Amino acid sequence: MLGKKSVRYITIIAATLSILWLLSFGWAIQDYYATGATDDVVKKQDSSQKTVKKNHMFTVVALGDSLTRGTGDDSGKGYVGYVADELKERFNGNVVVQNLGINGQISSQLKKQVKQPNIQRQLADADIILLTIGANDLFQQGRTLENFDLATIKTIEDAFVENLTTIFTDIRKANPDASIFFVGLYNPFIEVDETGVTSPTVRDWNRTAEEVSSTIPRIVFVPTYDIFQLSVNDYLFTDKFHPNQQGYRLIADRIAPLIKWEGERK
Amino acid sequence: MNNLILNEMMKLVARKRLLVIGAIVGILVILFTFAQYKEVQTQREKLGSDDWRASLQQQIIDMQNRLGSSRISDDWREQIQVSVQQLQFYLDQDINPSEPGAVTFVRMFIENSSDLFIPLLIMIVASDLVSSEHTLGSVKLLLTRPVKRWRILLSKYITLLMATSLIVAMTGLLSYGLSGIVFGYHGWNAPIITGFLVDGGDVDTSSIRLISQWKFVLMDFGLVWFVAVVVGTLAFMLSVLIRSTAASMGVMLAALISGAILNNMVSSWESAKYLFMVNLKLTNYLNGVAPPITGMTLFSSMSVLLVWWAAALVLSFFVFTRQDVY
Repeated sequence: MLGKKSVRYITIIAATLSILWLLSFGWAIQDYYATGATDDVVKKQDSSQKTVKKNHMFTVVALGDSLTRGTGDDSGKGYVGYVADELKERFNGNVVVQNLGINGQISSQLKKQVKQPNIQRQLADADIILLTIGANDLFQQGRTLENFDLATIKTIEDAFVENLTTIFTDIRKANPDASIFFVGLYNPFIEVDETGVTSPTVRDWNRTAEEVSSTIPRIVFVPTYDIFQLSVNDYLFTDKFHPNQQGYRLIADRIAPLIKWEGERK
Repeated sequence: MNNLILNEMMKLVARKRLLVIGAIVGILVILFTFAQYKEVQTQREKLGSDDWRASLQQQIIDMQNRLGSSRISDDWREQIQVSVQQLQFYLDQDINPSEPGAVTFVRMFIENSSDLFIPLLIMIVASDLVSSEHTLGSVKLLLTRPVKRWRILLSKYITLLMATSLIVAMTGLLSYGLSGIVFGYHGWNAPIITGFLVDGGDVDTSSIRLISQWKFVLMDFGLVWFVAVVVGTLAFMLSVLIRSTAASMGVMLAALISGAILNNMVSSWESAKYLFMVNLKLTNYLNGVAPPITGMTLFSSMSVLLVWWAAALVLSFFVFTRQDVY
C-alpha cells in the first residue's frame, strides 16, 4: 500500500500534466488557425549526404511504364527483376535495383518525372538505366486500334519523339556514363488485328525510336518485336497486352548479357 | 474536496490499474520498435542504401502505381493522391518526413494510437470508476457520508482527468525511453511540414510552414489528450448509467471499434460526422490528412466532441444525484 504522501505527489504531478496538456491543446488549435511563421530554429538537414557516394554496388535504375513495373508477371518481377537476378548471380549479389516505373505512364509524364531533382540524383548514381516508354502513347489502352487513323498516329509520334529526346538529354545530363537500355515495342494486337494495320505502325514506331536513341551516346535500343511476332499468345498475360512471365524472361535475356561491369569477377 | 480527490487517487493507485496500463504500453512499444527496426532493415537491403530519399522516392512510386489500378475507390484514390503530393513536397524540400530517432517514433506512435489505443487505455480506468462501487457494494458506504453526491462524483471525475493526463504522459515517456534504445534519443529539432490544406484530391501548399518536431509532438499530445478526455468522459457516463463494469466497457468498446470501421466507409453518409467516434483522429488535421467526410474541419470535429463531452457530463451528474441506490 502506498503512503499518503506518494499519493499526494502523484496527484500533484497529474495536475501539472493536465495543465500542460490543456495548454498544448490550446496551442495546437491556435497554431492551426493562426498561420504562424516558419520556425527559425529549424535548420535544414545538412546536405552533405547529398554528395554522391559511390558504393561498391552495381546500381540499376529502371524507368518507364507498366513493363518496367512488371505488370502481368505472376512473380511480380518483370524484365527488370530477371535482369537483376542474372546480374546478382554474375556480380556476387552486389546489385541494387531502383524500379521507378509507373503503370500507365506516357512519355510526357516520364519527361516530368526525369526532371525531378531526386530522380536526377538517383540517375546520377546509376551504373545502367533500363527504360520502357511509348506503349501507352501509341496504344492508348487499345483505343488507337479501335479508331485507327494515320494522321492521329503521326501527331502522337511527333510528340513522342520530342519527349523522348528531352528524356534522353535529361538522363544524359544527370549521368554521362551509364548505358541506357531502351526496350522497344512489340505488337500485342498482332493476332486480333484483322486489317493488319498495327504491325507496320509498331515497326515504324520502333524505327523512329531507334533513330532517336542513336543520336545520343551509349543508348542501346533493345528490340522485342520479333519475340512476340510468331506466337504472341504464348508470351502475353491474360489481359492480352502485357507480357507474361515467359515474355518478360525473354526480354530480360536480351538485355542481361549486354551488361558489363568492371567489378565483375571473372 | 481535496481529501475526496486524494481518497479517489488513493483508490486508483491502490488498484494498480496504472501499472497494468504502463505494462501494456511498454509491451506494445517494444513490439512496434522491433517492427519498425525490421522494416528499416529490409528497406535498406532492398534499396541497397540507407538514403532516405531513395526509400521515400520508392514509396511515392509505389503509391503512384496503386493510383493506376482501376479497382480502388475514389476516396482511396484521393487519399493516395494527397499523400503522394505531400511526400513529393517533402522530397522537393529535401526534408525527411520520418527523421530516424525516438522523437519521430513518439510522434508516429501517439498519432496512430489516438483514435483507438489511448481511448482503450483510458476506458480501463474510466469504465469502472463508478460502477465498481456498485459491484463492490461500497457505494452505500460512500453515499452515507455527509457529503453531497455531486461532490463525490466530481472528485471521481477529477481523478479520471488526472489518470488521463498520467496515461498520456506515460505513453509518451515509455515510447520515448524504449524506442530510443534502438533509434537514439534525437530528433527534437527535426523540421516538420505543417499547414497542408487538403481539398478533395488536391493539396494546397501555399500556407505550409516548417516547425520543429518537438513543438509538433507537443501539439499532437494536446489533441490526443483532449480526445482521451472526451472518450474518458463518455466511458465515465456509461459507468454511472450501467452499474455493471463489464457491460459499460462492452458498450464503449463497441462504439470505439465501430468508429474505426466507420472511418473507412462513411464518406457518403454525411450526417455520420456528428458521431463522436469518427472525429477522434484530430492529429490528422495537423498532418494534412483528408478527413473521412468532406467538410469536416478541426473546428467542427472539436465542436462535435465538445458537445458529446458536455452532454455526457451533464447526464452523469443528473443521474448520479437522483439515482436510487439499493
